[in-house]
Amino acid sequence: MISIDKSTMNTNSVDLNNLSQEETALEIRNLDLKYGDKQALFDVSMKIPEKQVTAFIGPSGCGKSTLLRCINRMNDLVDNCHIGGEILLNGQNIYDKQVDVASLRRNVGMVFQRPNPFPKSIYENVVYGLRLQGVNNRRDLDDAAERSLRGAAIWDEVKDRLHDNAFGLSGGQQQRLVIARAIAIEPEVLLLDEPTSALDPISTLTIEELITDLKSKYTVVIVTHNMQQAARVSDQTAFMYMGELVEYADTNTIFTTPRKRKTEDYITGRYG
Amino acid sequence: MGKWFKSGSPWIWMTGGAVSISLIAVLGLLLMIAWRGLSYFWPAEVYQWELNDPDGNRYTLIGEIYDKEEVPTERLISAGHVFKEMPGETVTRYLVKTGNREFVGLDFRWILATDIISRTQPENIAVIERSKNGDFYGYPIAVVEDGKRLALDDIEASFEAHIERAVELNDKAVTLQKSEIGSINYAMEQLRLQERRYELDGQLTEARKAEIAVKQASLQADYLLLEKSFFALRTEAARDSVIIKDMRGEEVVLKLDTILDVTYSNRISLIGKVGHWFVGVGRFISDDPREANTEGGVFPAIFGTVFMVMLMAVIVTPFGVIAAIYLHEYAKKGPVTKMIRIAVINLAGVPSIVYGVFGLGFFVYMFGGTLDQLFYPEALPAPTFGSPGVLWSALTLAILTLPVVIVSTEEGLSRIPSAVRQGSLALGATKAETLWRIVIPMASPAIMTGLILAVARAAGEVAPLMLVGVVKLAPTLPIDMNFPFVHLERKFMHLGFHIYDVGFQSPNVEAARPLVYATSFLLVSVIVSLNLTAIGVRNHLREKYRSLEH
Repeated sequence: MISIDKSTMNTNSVDLNNLSQEETALEIRNLDLKYGDKQALFDVSMKIPEKQVTAFIGPSGCGKSTLLRCINRMNDLVDNCHIGGEILLNGQNIYDKQVDVASLRRNVGMVFQRPNPFPKSIYENVVYGLRLQGVNNRRDLDDAAERSLRGAAIWDEVKDRLHDNAFGLSGGQQQRLVIARAIAIEPEVLLLDEPTSALDPISTLTIEELITDLKSKYTVVIVTHNMQQAARVSDQTAFMYMGELVEYADTNTIFTTPRKRKTEDYITGRYG
Repeated sequence: MGKWFKSGSPWIWMTGGAVSISLIAVLGLLLMIAWRGLSYFWPAEVYQWELNDPDGNRYTLIGEIYDKEEVPTERLISAGHVFKEMPGETVTRYLVKTGNREFVGLDFRWILATDIISRTQPENIAVIERSKNGDFYGYPIAVVEDGKRLALDDIEASFEAHIERAVELNDKAVTLQKSEIGSINYAMEQLRLQERRYELDGQLTEARKAEIAVKQASLQADYLLLEKSFFALRTEAARDSVIIKDMRGEEVVLKLDTILDVTYSNRISLIGKVGHWFVGVGRFISDDPREANTEGGVFPAIFGTVFMVMLMAVIVTPFGVIAAIYLHEYAKKGPVTKMIRIAVINLAGVPSIVYGVFGLGFFVYMFGGTLDQLFYPEALPAPTFGSPGVLWSALTLAILTLPVVIVSTEEGLSRIPSAVRQGSLALGATKAETLWRIVIPMASPAIMTGLILAVARAAGEVAPLMLVGVVKLAPTLPIDMNFPFVHLERKFMHLGFHIYDVGFQSPNVEAARPLVYATSFLLVSVIVSLNLTAIGVRNHLREKYRSLEH
């Protein structure tokens, strides 16, 4: 049995079953996903509340990353990927024909497993998204860069070398830089795909603290392998197994009184 | 023994040996052509021999030793040579460059060591470099200024001063001919073409005719004036002459306007020789060729080679990169794409002469011919773009090197981590924006690698060029001072073709041989320096995008 320190757990959960329209950031309805003939997601439905941290946990290959990548349509890049069902962002189905994928991704930022800074300066990394939108005013860019770097808790470390190559940063710093890059374009939702799996424990801690800060402004969805991490940072937790959403409840409930047998087996470390 | 095999040592020895052999081969090749080519410019010792001819008469020979070999005595006897006293098994035979081409039948001749009575190295033998008929060896006796024989103590100093004057006047004349007279000729040709254009369009009114006639008249007047001063310069340069005693003992009068330089090779110091060597190398690089390319420099060939290769690079890079991007990024992965890719790779194996034939048929005749009919009808039947030229050469070589650029660009594109692409897409970039801002910059070192390989291949290619634009002697460079300054339709000279031409098409094989080595060395140097430049750029780019190394 993993010991979970209850004092660090989040307690400001909402009632997931009676989430009002305003409180819902994302609603996933009957989502099916197939890679060719292989079905990866089975009829997933859930509501993700606004300005909270929602964690997806589950064993490797359970479809949690796939589900996350559906939210900003990253799976479009995969050949032979067929998606059924809906994901509503602000009441609009993001898989609708009229939806512009690029502008969707501007609203739904994403941070990947391994830090992936561009081969540019720290500054240019942060303002990349803004430049794409055609912002070229030096003042605006400078302001946005400082705001985002502060928001990602890395400003103090890089303010004197903004124009150095981003590859000079450590792994943890690179990951925070990537987070700064994602929040520079002020998305509504921030997707984090195992953001600390490639980092050392101290960097992990910094990022976790950062995630807790981020939820004041953004809806955060995080995929993690690490159950303590889910317990520490998230308000809601969804447990997935073999492409199905097994249980979805507030984090407290999931880790203390799970209703499903599979969930209990997983969080007590019987498999995974 | 089995243990030794297992340890991997034989493998290391084998691989190391392969590398060493390659290195030795490359270095040996470079050293040989460098030595043979560069020693040509070193002032050689000049000897004076007293010799017996087969009839027993004495004669004198002045010249440089060019080559030396041992010949079996038997062979000489069977060839009809009669020896007074039998020499040993073999006889040494020297190849002597005697110069003085207009007075002796052969300016290279073989002499047998057994015929030599004496050999001296007189200090006051002058080696006179001339613009016609090659070198002249002899003893300067007197300087003739304006028909009057000068009575002088120091003939040599006066000789040199007079040469300097004549060379200066000649240079002026050449400059005048090339720039001013050249531009007037060009302008006259343009006027003629303009008139013809009006005529073809049916717009040749009397007024226009008159206008053109006026312009022509004024150009003609300018031309006559310049021609006059040109001939004045030439006459002035030819005013003086020098009297030289040659090896036959006869006094020969040489006009100074054909003399370029005089050296006393047997007398000058080591430093003097080094200086002479540098001057020789410099002239070789910067001068125009003379005497059917067997003398003088190779500047037009260097210029042509570099210009054509750069033009090719400018054409092939965007073309190849765009094709590679389509194949790698946009084309659906399937049998058709696979077929196209295989076809592209196979293109690299097509013999280059085939590309030459294609270039001649497609670019020169079809494409160039059509261009002529559409845009240059006034010049017909003389072709403008419808004949081989530097543009068509560059295009032909661009096609030849296209597979190299496509393959290495594709390789570069596939090495870019998908995480970086996804990072850009996740920030709301479209695929095209990701390509422009992230992928292509990161693939630029690979693109440069492709370009390096393309340049290396193109600069060494000769066969297709013989069909699509290279000539033995181009009167003008593809770039000059006449509008529009860059003349892509012109034919050009190329170092590779120059080697072939000098080495195998020249009337004077012996005189041409060292030039073949020197030109080869120059060609290799040009290719190496082009490549080094590209490699420098690539390393800079690699440093910038070094994330790829992780």
